[in-house]
Amino acid sequence: MSVTRITVDGEPVDATAGSSLTAAFVAARRWRLRDNPVSGEPRGPFCGMGVCFECEVTVDGRPGVRACLTRVVPGMTVETGAPVETGPPSVGTRP
Amino acid sequence: MTVSHDVLSHGVLSRDVLVVGGGPAGLSAAARLAAAGLTVAIADEQPELGGQYFRRPSPAVLRAHGDHRPEGGRLIARVRELGVDCLTGHLVWGVADDGRTLFATAPDGAAVRLRARHVIVATGAYERTHPFPGWQLPGVTTPGFAQHLAAADGTPVGRRVLVAGSGPFLLPVACSLLDAGAEVIGVAEAGHPYTPSLRATAALRHPARLRELAGYMARLARARVPIWQGRVVTGASGDDSVSAVTLAATADPSRPVGTFAVDAVCVGYGFRPQTELARLLGCEIRADAATGDAAPVTDAFGRTSRPGVYVVGEAAGIGGVHLARARGRLTAAHILAARGGGDRREIVRLAARTRALGRFTALGEALYPSPAALQDALVSALPDETVVCRCEAVTASDVRAAATDRAGGDLNAAKSWSRAGMGPCQGRFCGFAVAGLVRAARGGERGEPVFPARQPVRPVPVETLLALGEQEPEGDAA
Ligand SMILES: Cc1cc2nc3c(=O)[nH]c(=O)nc-3n(C[C@H](O)[C@H](O)[C@H](O)COP(=O)(O)OP(=O)(O)OC[C@H]3O[C@@H](n4cnc5c(N)ncnc54)[C@H](O)[C@@H]3O)c2cc1C
Ligand code: FES
Repeated sequence: MSVTRITVDGEPVDATAGSSLTAAFVAARRWRLRDNPVSGEPRGPFCGMGVCFECEVTVDGRPGVRACLTRVVPGMTVETGAPVETGPPSVGTRP
Repeated sequence: MTVSHDVLSHGVLSRDVLVVGGGPAGLSAAARLAAAGLTVAIADEQPELGGQYFRRPSPAVLRAHGDHRPEGGRLIARVRELGVDCLTGHLVWGVADDGRTLFATAPDGAAVRLRARHVIVATGAYERTHPFPGWQLPGVTTPGFAQHLAAADGTPVGRRVLVAGSGPFLLPVACSLLDAGAEVIGVAEAGHPYTPSLRATAALRHPARLRELAGYMARLARARVPIWQGRVVTGASGDDSVSAVTLAATADPSRPVGTFAVDAVCVGYGFRPQTELARLLGCEIRADAATGDAAPVTDAFGRTSRPGVYVVGEAAGIGGVHLARARGRLTAAHILAARGGGDRREIVRLAARTRALGRFTALGEALYPSPAALQDALVSALPDETVVCRCEAVTASDVRAAATDRAGGDLNAAKSWSRAGMGPCQGRFCGFAVAGLVRAARGGERGEPVFPARQPVRPVPVETLLALGEQEPEGDAA
């Protein structure tokens, strides 16, 4: 069967291998993936197509990964929330 | 997929044709051109080809339910068999000073330069969103996201869902949600498309369109899903995710008519062309009077004001999957003819089909309120405290103040002063509302429809830029 285990914020979560990572979050009712850096309000995936960046998570140590463009791979480790400080930041969107 | 290193020389990939966007339009163009013997590469930031309409179901959904759009799978397989270099997971984010070389980021963050004699921009569309208080809560999504979750991943976006906004797309989304096991509490449509009226009778001459809509409506009726017309979402509330949603009449958005318990809300007002790359390539654009959107100026063959640059599919204008595919094939046929090959009859046939599909789209659009009319109706009623720009958390009052006091009614100046549109989505999801607010500050006079295109078109990892600096090109012209 394609049901597999991934780790989200240190907890085991059931997911379907090859489905989108956002589907795993939605199925587990884990909507809150990050807080808005300006207002601190909770945010979750919005567009499902790579445009809004509200689904950015850290996957296997790589920060700034859009969950909606990522497929579930067995054993993958995901951290939600603000990117880990050690990772390279993204540039180009702030003046 | 990561491109093998023999495909790239010094991080540069040169082909006869580069297609940006592996949706129905880009795939159709690529297949035709590769079949004629040209070397073709497709770049797409998604992990798999298919774009929005042909988004591939997950392996589990394929096993359990089969392929709901098998022609997409066949088209992708054909493109691969024809030897097209498929650069999936590659974001194309900018254009070099030469105006011809495109910059991309590979899945591992590596920098890639793409060069081609013919560049086909097939970047598709994104959903038209309009803010309301609480739309930034987790659990409030676009209808397209709910569609992908349901159809490709077999996952309902919620247990109790409201689908709202405007346009024909809301109906198949509601049906997909039912199929995925959700309870759809209702479909709220801002206009009145589903009453027999003078405008609607035109669609009767197009039985196919009517049959499709009727099929969705019958499915919704069987499941006792109400369709509320002339209704818009004016508020959502909840703690960590949405738990209630409020509807009001489109004609009087300040007066609520009902509040419903939900665990997901999907709101969208159709689609807008994704034109940033075309604009960065220097293609002329114009504002479409009916939609208020920016569309590249193209001729019937997808040619733009820039020689060798074509725009096809919904990036050139919204029209649905059949028009997107026909436009892709027509551009391919034109490129072949211009190179001294191709088939005249094919061009004539495809041009006729494109025109007919274009008329069909216009008829469908006439049923629904025009985006410009919606903008007028919704923007004036937008409460001051509404977060308009999700990324930078800028409120309607911030934008109103910036537009009136400091920006003199100029869209780009209003953006600079308020920061609306400056975050990672680059104003794609607030742009429609901000343009409406700025327009209101100008006393209703129309101006620029969209924010200027900026490079990179999406945030790019620093490592890509560093790599780009290290591998400066050494006269490696295409
Ligand atoms: C979320 C969503 C869901 C939809 N679902 C349906 C549906 O179920 N039924 C329906 O009839 N219509 C649907 N549509 C409408 C859809 O736009 C068209 O029917 C059709 O997919 C358009 O084809 P296209 O080839 O023009 O563009 P698309 O299918 O949108 O393909 C464009 C491709 O370009 C890629 N791309 C864009 N910019 C870049 C870049 N800078 N770098 C690399 N790649 C890039 C995208 O990842 C995408 O794969 C949906 C639209 C959206 C936005
Ligand atoms: S949900 Fe919008 S970018 Fe992933």
